[in-house]
Amino acid sequence: MILGEPGPPRAVPSPRALTCPKCKSPLEFSLFNHPELGSCANCGSKLQVEAFPALFRREGSGRDGELVMEGESTCFYHPAKKAVRPCEGCGRFVCGLCDCELHGQHFCPSCLEVGRKKGKIKNLENHRTLYDSIALTLATVPILLVFTYVYSFITAPAALYIAIRYWNAPRGLVRRTKIRLILAIIFATAEIAAWLIGIYFIFNNRRTND
Amino acid sequence: MTDSKYLRLTPTRQSGVIGNASLWLGPDHLLCVESMIFTEEYKRFYYRDIQAFIIRRTKFRGILGLIILVPLTLFTWGAIGMGYAGDTGGSVFCLIMSGIFGLILLLNFAFGPTVRCYLKSAVQTEELPSLNRLGRARRAIARLRPLIIAAQGQLSPGEIPERMREFNAGKPAQDGVATNPDPPIINP
Repeated sequence: MILGEPGPPRAVPSPRALTCPKCKSPLEFSLFNHPELGSCANCGSKLQVEAFPALFRREGSGRDGELVMEGESTCFYHPAKKAVRPCEGCGRFVCGLCDCELHGQHFCPSCLEVGRKKGKIKNLENHRTLYDSIALTLATVPILLVFTYVYSFITAPAALYIAIRYWNAPRGLVRRTKIRLILAIIFATAEIAAWLIGIYFIFNNRRTND
Repeated sequence: MTDSKYLRLTPTRQSGVIGNASLWLGPDHLLCVESMIFTEEYKRFYYRDIQAFIIRRTKFRGILGLIILVPLTLFTWGAIGMGYAGDTGGSVFCLIMSGIFGLILLLNFAFGPTVRCYLKSAVQTEELPSLNRLGRARRAIARLRPLIIAAQGQLSPGEIPERMREFNAGKPAQDGVATNPDPPIINP
């Protein structure tokens, strides 16, 4: 075979075919949008399928950007491509290839990446650390476990520090109040106070005995 | 800075050994929250992109029932045996324990069959761990359906074979397979 000559056609699984999650065989249409459970023709698994029009939507092929003509604006990243719109983050002109749409807003790839890393674009955020849970765990677990209460000497100040340091930090993306932080501060303060009172009494008793 | 645009769709459910998961309704997407003690991971499924939900019934309810039945039987025997032996304290303890296991067994059957629910979009098939009972999965889908229909339009069961035929007519495809040409072979 010579360079550039296409090979014989090969069969690839269609992304449209819904498959049984157990045996991976294509599902029959009779199972679709049926109110009761049906059986997979291959493995007999009981299944219910709720299909929506997006299953039959034709996805356009990847945009490649039009070539620039004389007098037209060019893409900042691809000087040979015609600019289709400015990025709403940085204002740079971008071509069809670089234009990333997100909720009706258009960004260039670098703004999208910066937005994701810095958490500026909320809809790209896919991870959050729950500092309130960390603080509450540090404040409560050592005193709940009988033999670890001595560790509260270290964990209580740590819990107090985390609760104050991350008081304004974003908590979970879904509903989450400050109750854990408040409880962490209360417990940690009480533990620190208990330690200070304990130390004071120990030294006071020694002094009295001496 | 709590985001109030989400409405809870499912309660938080155990997912894996130490994690848990829940589903939330957003204005234009479904949010899957997976928590791992001190972190939360988010997955967004936009209503316009959801192609299908697949619910597969599993046998876990029966297996769990059998597992619970073992201590239930043992404690019940213990309660009867200790009752005959005159150990009132032990008998009451065994009775309470068998009551607890009996309640768990009852709830296990009352919650309905266990399932695994999958969400399919054009590029992924994701399992939704919080939809682990048939009734809950159906209720969640019933709440999601109008939102997805608003974003995509409706599809009746009779329409599906027709839509699939139309789709396949546009592309050379046979029984769920499409033909793609191989990339060119480079022969020096």
